Amino acid sequence: MGRFLLKRLLSAIVTLWLLATIVFVLVNVLPSNVGRQVLGGQAPEELVKAYNKKLGTDRPLLVQYGKAMKNLSTLSFGDSYKSGVAVRKIIGPAMVRSGKLAVLALLLTVPLAIAGGIYTARRQDKLADRAVVVAGLATSSTPEFVTAAILLSIFCVTWKVGKVFANPPPGASILTQLHYLIVPAVAMAIVYLGYIVRMARAGVIGALQTDYARTATMKGLPKGTVMRRHLLRNALAPTITVISAQIGYLFGSIVGVEIVFNYAGLGSVLRDAVGNKDIPILSGGVLAVGIVYMISTLAADLLIAFLNPRIRLESSR
Amino acid sequence: MSELAIPPARGAADSSTPMLGGIPVSERKQARSENWRLIRRRPSFIIGSVIALFWTVCAILGERITPRSPIKPLYKVHQRPGAQFLFGTDKTGRDVLSRVMMGSRDILKVAPLAAVLSVILGVILGMIMGYFRGWVDLVLGRIVEAFLAIPVILLGFVAVVVLGRSNVVIISIVAMLFAPIVARTVRSAVLAERDLDYVTSAKLRGEGPLFIMFREILPNVMGPIIVELTIRIGYAVFTVATLTFIGAGPKPPSPDWGAQVSDNYALLQSRIWWSTLFPALAIASLVIAINLIADAVQSVLDA
Repeated sequence: MGRFLLKRLLSAIVTLWLLATIVFVLVNVLPSNVGRQVLGGQAPEELVKAYNKKLGTDRPLLVQYGKAMKNLSTLSFGDSYKSGVAVRKIIGPAMVRSGKLAVLALLLTVPLAIAGGIYTARRQDKLADRAVVVAGLATSSTPEFVTAAILLSIFCVTWKVGKVFANPPPGASILTQLHYLIVPAVAMAIVYLGYIVRMARAGVIGALQTDYARTATMKGLPKGTVMRRHLLRNALAPTITVISAQIGYLFGSIVGVEIVFNYAGLGSVLRDAVGNKDIPILSGGVLAVGIVYMISTLAADLLIAFLNPRIRLESSR
Repeated sequence: MSELAIPPARGAADSSTPMLGGIPVSERKQARSENWRLIRRRPSFIIGSVIALFWTVCAILGERITPRSPIKPLYKVHQRPGAQFLFGTDKTGRDVLSRVMMGSRDILKVAPLAAVLSVILGVILGMIMGYFRGWVDLVLGRIVEAFLAIPVILLGFVAVVVLGRSNVVIISIVAMLFAPIVARTVRSAVLAERDLDYVTSAKLRGEGPLFIMFREILPNVMGPIIVELTIRIGYAVFTVATLTFIGAGPKPPSPDWGAQVSDNYALLQSRIWWSTLFPALAIASLVIAINLIADAVQSVLDA
């Protein structure tokens, strides 16, 4: 187990380094004058030069790359071009707020998706199954901001059960926060539900056709026992992988939902950074989400290895 | 299921028939038209095509069929949907129905182009990884995994700032981010082919790797590639719509759907829902249509 963990950890770090390099290349692909961009066309040349010197964007690319990597290893991401505040201080709280929304969306999605997957798999190709599969295809292929705008017009404007602005007042109780966040979370959950239901369904259908499932049924075990004791841990492994892979995307797609609901999470911070051309915040945001993605895939791999000893034995060999 | 097109056994025909990738050309053609017939019969394909065709016609004919001008603000602002304006008017007094009809123009140019480009890149990459294996595969595989860790929308933000807002930027970003996903699919398809007899015999004939990859193996992995292409078009519409919503797309007064939603969603709180809801529903209908087509293609070709 220890070797398996070490191996996975190392490969996660290599991937993160590559991700940082990709972002660095993208940001520096065009010869850009950051000082000119931030200060505007009218600013005097000396001021622009001084600004570039302060930011260090006038130094050779290799030096800047070294600095970016050092920043990554200390998780500091540098300072905002616009305000000079440390990027971490801006992104951190925003990530926490986005995290709340994402966790709520996951809490809604996962149990429903797994229950839905089992339900439909046991009624394969019947009407209820087809209906869920087609509905899931429709909801999972619709962009989050579209779903969010539709839900906002129905639930927050026409019926007034939710809030148009999702920012809860400071110091609000958990229930109040829930009230503010529930509609945006549902908007996200709807998109993921359709996808994860189909994954869970495929997993359960696959497991139902195995020899050990047949044996367990032939032994005369009740259906529920077969499902719980024999099938689920195998059937759900791919679903766990998918869910964890979605956590990174959840943070990416949260952007549209947050903008529609005016929620002060990562999405809104990044949108403002676009307006200010604040590249450290943007690349810091991408890397932060990349780290979340790494951690969640790592956690999923460990969970799967824990559920299925064959995987951890094979990969530590 | 008995009608399912079964790929004919490799090398079944005698050596005088023209062969490509170990299968006689005529049999390949037959299997292909059989598959196409099965796809056309699927209800999801029919529904999806009708909707997609409708938006394509709207995009091509544009102002020639819209009831009013989609660009010029000629009417009273914020009129509710009714007999005169079916979808109402927006905040500058433009006809929402005409704008929704025109709004598919950019996305229908950009998304399929980005998807095709990503598939071409992905096929080349996946082919190289699967065919050569070894350290090439190892290095490229790591890079592919790093790309998969990037949330598309966030990288879209960065690209808008660095490269500016234009269709070319959107196409390149989407193609670049989707190519690794395609490459992964193609790689595993190629891995299943590379040790088959027809590849070995081509090697013994003295064919070069380029010929083997693209003339011998490629025709045999077209199934998964076509499935991947239809799925990627769906995701490309999804992604392009989101990128235009966050402001990476064409500039106003373009009636692009994503731009319309982003221009008008703030009015929802004042109960002006029509200028947001109709373009939003239009986006939903297009992505769902494309995914229905992809689902039909997938269920026939993957079987």
